[in-house]
Amino acid sequence: MSFSVILSSMAEGMERSVGIFFLTLIFSLPLGFLIAFGRMSKNKLLQAIARFYISVLRGTPLMLQLMVVYFAPYYLFGFSIGNWRYPAIIVGFVINYSAYFAEIYRSGIEAIPKGQYEAAGILGYNRIQTFMKIILPQVIKIILPSVTNEIITLVKDTSLAFSLSYMEMFSIAKQIAARETTLMPFAIAALFYYVFNLLVSIIMEWIEKRMNYYR
Amino acid sequence: MVYLKMNHVKKSFGSLEVLKDISLQVNQGEVVSIIGPSGSGKSTLLRCATLLETMDCGDLSYLEKSAATIVNNKTVYEKPARLNEIKSIFGLVFQNFNLFPHFTVMKNITDAPIHVQKRKKNEVYQEAKNLLAQMGLSDKEDYYPYQLSGGQQQRVAIARALALKPKVLFFDEPTSALDPELTGEVLKVIKALAETKMTMVIVTHEMEFARNISDRIIFMDKGVIAVQGTPEEVFQSEHTRMQEFLGKLKR
Amino acid sequence: MKKQLLCGVIVVSLAAALLAGCKKEDKDSDNKDGKKTFTVGFDAEYPPYGYMDDNGDYTGFDLELADEVCKLKGWSLKKQPIIWDNKDNELNSGSIDCIWNGFTMNKRENKYTWSDPYVDNSQVIVTKTDSGIKELKDLADKTVGVQAASAALDVLQDKDEQKELADTFKTLQEFADYNTAFVELEAGSVDAIAMDIGVAQYQLNSRGSDKFVILDTHLNTEKYAIGFKKGNAELCKEVNEALHTLKKNGTFDKLAEKYELTDMVCLEE
Repeated sequence: MSFSVILSSMAEGMERSVGIFFLTLIFSLPLGFLIAFGRMSKNKLLQAIARFYISVLRGTPLMLQLMVVYFAPYYLFGFSIGNWRYPAIIVGFVINYSAYFAEIYRSGIEAIPKGQYEAAGILGYNRIQTFMKIILPQVIKIILPSVTNEIITLVKDTSLAFSLSYMEMFSIAKQIAARETTLMPFAIAALFYYVFNLLVSIIMEWIEKRMNYYR
Repeated sequence: MVYLKMNHVKKSFGSLEVLKDISLQVNQGEVVSIIGPSGSGKSTLLRCATLLETMDCGDLSYLEKSAATIVNNKTVYEKPARLNEIKSIFGLVFQNFNLFPHFTVMKNITDAPIHVQKRKKNEVYQEAKNLLAQMGLSDKEDYYPYQLSGGQQQRVAIARALALKPKVLFFDEPTSALDPELTGEVLKVIKALAETKMTMVIVTHEMEFARNISDRIIFMDKGVIAVQGTPEEVFQSEHTRMQEFLGKLKR
Repeated sequence: MKKQLLCGVIVVSLAAALLAGCKKEDKDSDNKDGKKTFTVGFDAEYPPYGYMDDNGDYTGFDLELADEVCKLKGWSLKKQPIIWDNKDNELNSGSIDCIWNGFTMNKRENKYTWSDPYVDNSQVIVTKTDSGIKELKDLADKTVGVQAASAALDVLQDKDEQKELADTFKTLQEFADYNTAFVELEAGSVDAIAMDIGVAQYQLNSRGSDKFVILDTHLNTEKYAIGFKKGNAELCKEVNEALHTLKKNGTFDKLAEKYELTDMVCLEE
């Protein structure tokens, strides 16, 4: 196997890893807000559901969750799951990450002084305006470092898709390693992850800087 | 015309009775100061008047529009739409300013008039410039709150409240969070407002200031109005708690 | 301005992600012409039966055989790499049609519906040439590696087979793939590895047959067959018949030769 074939196979795998990465972020970032609102809701039932959701998803391994999501339709309902592999991976990642994001959002929202809500109320902003214009921008600034942490973890976690036999970059690296009987593909894999995360850090740092116009 | 009317207001936090049957009336153009020791309930009274706290019992109305009435010994508030209408009648200046840190001075002042009152941008900006000039802050339009001193921030907060053209303006200890050398600039602004016959209710610890600008002073103690009247009447009152309070301040 | 930029970034990344997802779909199931899809589950880290070829595509004796069967039947072949530990879940839940990947039928006769056996396999012990281990009894107090959920592990845990031998080991170390196992063997953290002889031969050819040695005494002999979900006799029969046709027309033996398995194949005409 030539080096260029190895690289292009792994690049193809990387494309799939990046796919998992973006789809997970696109769905879990907003879903996290829903969960966070549930968690902070005055409705006791909603609150209990959100608490349970967060505690289960943070309290069990992601790999296990992926397997449950993938195999549950068959074992619980007897559905054949032929084309469910990729959706299952995305669903698994999204629910797991939404739980982590929900707790980050909650910490951010609770860090905003009560006076900001009161001032907004006195000035006549309605609840949606208050949240979108006054609270959210301040929350984003507060939680950005924690969110960056999670995103960097997500880049590395994409490799867990191997447990559902999805051929993302790390699975490909393992197969090439088996064929070539060397560990060199893992070094390349490390480099791929590192470069990806370097990009993520640069982008997040840029955003953080953009938010630094006030204190 | 009666601008603010509160009747039989009661409020408890748990077992602590903070307001015990308070009634109060503020007329158009009147400047009323509320003084009293800490824990006497004056801030709670202000927060009830501005709908930040709900009263356990009591009537509340602005310009003869009712916001809450007593039914069977309990307060029944009007529907949210009506309350929003009433909220637009008054403004409040907080002890801690509560400016929005991510907005510039200009945006702090103009955002609510534009997006809540849906007024024309040009008009609002022009008024905001005038207000800033009035506050002596013309050069601070594009500053963020963290770049300003406490006194400057409080003056921006006053401008922000005035931009919505309230009929009644409340102040909740507007100088308590300021360094002593910065209180003067804020008091000067409030005094200038009083001279324009703005209807104002001011909770304050600044006795000299209250004496100078108020038409009427209310001395609160332990959840009730102990003394009220013109500044002379109140400051010369024989009421023992009032004397104690003034004595403490002088020492 | 800022908002537009953000929207742009989101749209582009969404498109990229969806594209990445779709591409994979296209590749996996080219049955747009209405052909029946035959999904073979295999361990892509199991040369010479299933692995990646020079071009990064999946190949191996079993997969080429599966390809020939599909050609014969007019099916389209979907090669689905699986995690070996998950093979039963994948098969039962219908995400694969069969396990075809140097799959030992002995001891598992009742768990699956089996094709006719086509390879005579042995479980063997591989050690380093200079390890001093010459016979099975030399393995006493040694650390022996074995793939999780593999036939070799079954043999070593079966009372009627080699459990007695396994009990003399210091530890029986399970691992996920052979690559890791060989690195551990080279590094000295395991003293020997138990595995299928075909796999052992591939590893020795690739890593240098002077460094490693296969012990002369084999742990057992057993047979490879294609495993279908228990009760799926219809599909099993179709594949079985095709397999025999390939044997008759010589394709089967040609492939065995290509993968140096001629000595081991056992499919009867």
